[in-house]
Amino acid sequence: MTGKAKKPTSLATSTNGTTRRSFLQTALAGGAFGTAYLAIGSNMYAKAAGPITIGHQAELTGGFSSWGYWHDKCAQKAAAIINEGGGIGGRELRVVTDDTESNPAAGARKLRSLIQRKGASFVTGSVHSGVMLASIPVATELKTVYFSCGEATEATGSKGSRYAFRTGNDTYTLSGAGAPWAYENLGKNWTMIFPDYAWGHSHHKEHKRVIEELGGKVNDPIAVPLDSRDLVPYLAKVPEETEVLFSVFFGALSVAFYTQAKNMGLGEKMKMYSVAGTIEAIAPADIDGAAEGVYFLENFPRPLAAKDDEYHKEFIKIMEIDPVNGREATSDRVIAKSHAWQPWENLFLLKAAIEASGWKGKKDDQGVIEYLEGAKMSNSLAHPQGDKILRAKDHSGILDNYISQVRGGVFETIKRIPKEEIDAKLPPRFDFTKTAL
Amino acid sequence: MELVLALAINGLIWGLIIALIALGLSIIFGLLDIINLSHGDFFMVGTVLAWFIVHWTGSFWLAFLLAPLIGLLLGALIMKLVIVPIKGAAALSIVATFGLSIILQETVRATFGPAPKRLLPPVEGTIPLFGIDYGIYRLVAAGIAIVCLAGFFLFLHRTKIGAWMRAVRHDPETAVALGIPVQRIYTITFALGFAIAALGGVVAAPITTVDFRAGVDILPFCFMAVIIGGLGNLQGTAAAAVLLSFMEGVITAFADPVVARIVSLCLMSVVLLLRPQGIFAGAMS
Repeated sequence: MTGKAKKPTSLATSTNGTTRRSFLQTALAGGAFGTAYLAIGSNMYAKAAGPITIGHQAELTGGFSSWGYWHDKCAQKAAAIINEGGGIGGRELRVVTDDTESNPAAGARKLRSLIQRKGASFVTGSVHSGVMLASIPVATELKTVYFSCGEATEATGSKGSRYAFRTGNDTYTLSGAGAPWAYENLGKNWTMIFPDYAWGHSHHKEHKRVIEELGGKVNDPIAVPLDSRDLVPYLAKVPEETEVLFSVFFGALSVAFYTQAKNMGLGEKMKMYSVAGTIEAIAPADIDGAAEGVYFLENFPRPLAAKDDEYHKEFIKIMEIDPVNGREATSDRVIAKSHAWQPWENLFLLKAAIEASGWKGKKDDQGVIEYLEGAKMSNSLAHPQGDKILRAKDHSGILDNYISQVRGGVFETIKRIPKEEIDAKLPPRFDFTKTAL
Repeated sequence: MELVLALAINGLIWGLIIALIALGLSIIFGLLDIINLSHGDFFMVGTVLAWFIVHWTGSFWLAFLLAPLIGLLLGALIMKLVIVPIKGAAALSIVATFGLSIILQETVRATFGPAPKRLLPPVEGTIPLFGIDYGIYRLVAAGIAIVCLAGFFLFLHRTKIGAWMRAVRHDPETAVALGIPVQRIYTITFALGFAIAALGGVVAAPITTVDFRAGVDILPFCFMAVIIGGLGNLQGTAAAAVLLSFMEGVITAFADPVVARIVSLCLMSVVLLLRPQGIFAGAMS
């Protein structure tokens, strides 16, 4: 059923099971972030060396801007908490955000600017797979640690590097986590419909592999160009024998897909299964029932009830969202929750890595990288999504996932898929630890 | 065979909606020589206005009336603020309308929000159409598009302002000599172009989505229709939009929809090479 609330133990990030000391640990163990603590924190980094700059690549404009707003808000809130707690190793954390315009060329160009002109020592990167894949070669060339937030598996696979990490899911882990459940419970004959770019094709490739290994049948894929508005020509090609229609879209294409698929009655003829990305930043109620009954694989469940612990509750409070739909209190925006936690957690992870390795400047990057390879993160305010590991070999985050269904316009969690199960099923396919820095 | 028929009819219906939007693009070019890169955003503003009006009043049909009227006012305002200062400079018009496009998108993103929304169709339900369940509203939308297209051409050929618009397009100097208020006709034409695109937005919104980038996606197809139909050739544009969409529908039944779009682009290239005035020039201008 839902994620079992774990007894809060630690806020910090650790390697090989050793819990690291941090200000936040002290603060939460004490029960609160008090104003006295804030004053102590600000004095501490005032005395230390200059600020540490971490770059943030976010989609503030363009097609992914409904997600980018939340990535930026998460990064800013996390940075505020870190600075209120004394910064990183006594130094102020300065997060510099640059807008990728949801465009791979612009994103890669601005990454170079973030590192070379704005002095970013580390970068928490884009959620747009195209931007992310265009950025990794730049980060590698400039020997800068770069965290991807998108899902195309290549970022920590064939196009990855020793400098590229990802705390969240990729299409490899998403398919391994959710597809077996969907195969067992929803149907054996699958058709996949997805946007005609890196993210969609990556999902198709990985899910097809899993379903075929399980003995299922996967029909011809349906790739939809990103500029499509009328999806009837694509939906009309879904074979009648399809039992599971697996879809991966984002933004306007998602709404167009659910709206037009529902109008054509596909939801009644077959089960519809998708990943959280397809409904990020969208409340099912806002699309008037078009997503009703659809199954989703989430990694940070939208309702608090699905992972009911104090860190999740505090995250919801800090992000000013409601605990059921994830809607912002001051606007009608809905959080892109299954992705936007990554910039938040990446900053805390980098803080832990910098402090543990004694990083002072660029020459100490190797220590940070070695810390990250195999880092274990404990359920805490620093890591509110939950316990997770960053596998040493493939630099990939392994974390709990959740199967949810939209019922009555809200998400209801059906099953938690523990990270141990995912880790056992999905061995690393790449080993970056052997690559020289 | 059933799939071919279903997709051909869907192409025809979608083409009628596109024709409405492309028509606005064509009249603006035909009269003002402006290559309007913000025209897709006029359509997008129509979808957003429809969403707000339906949200506040609950009436789709009120949106159908009000959105084009607001579009008319916005069009007149844009004409005065953006187009008049660069009138006669084609290169500048591209830059200015590109800037206008960004301003419109970002204004909508800042007010309406970046997340896409859905507008429920005023008529729900499906009918079986050659093997697929087809939304009834699409048929209604096609009917509305036909009525609007017919209404526009009646306006153009049966009213004084319509006659003035045609006269100014044909020979602006003589029109001035005959006492036609040419500047006002320019403004009316641009405003009408906005209003028609906004009307297209209202009609299309329940089929697609309401979001600040809706116009970016629709503009290339409108340009293809205008180029194949003949720049400034209004009937040709409408016919080309329907023809292109119908052709893509038929091809989609046999091949990937991407192949259908490639065929359309090839057709456009052939037209540009062999008949740059458009395939309907002479017959319908």
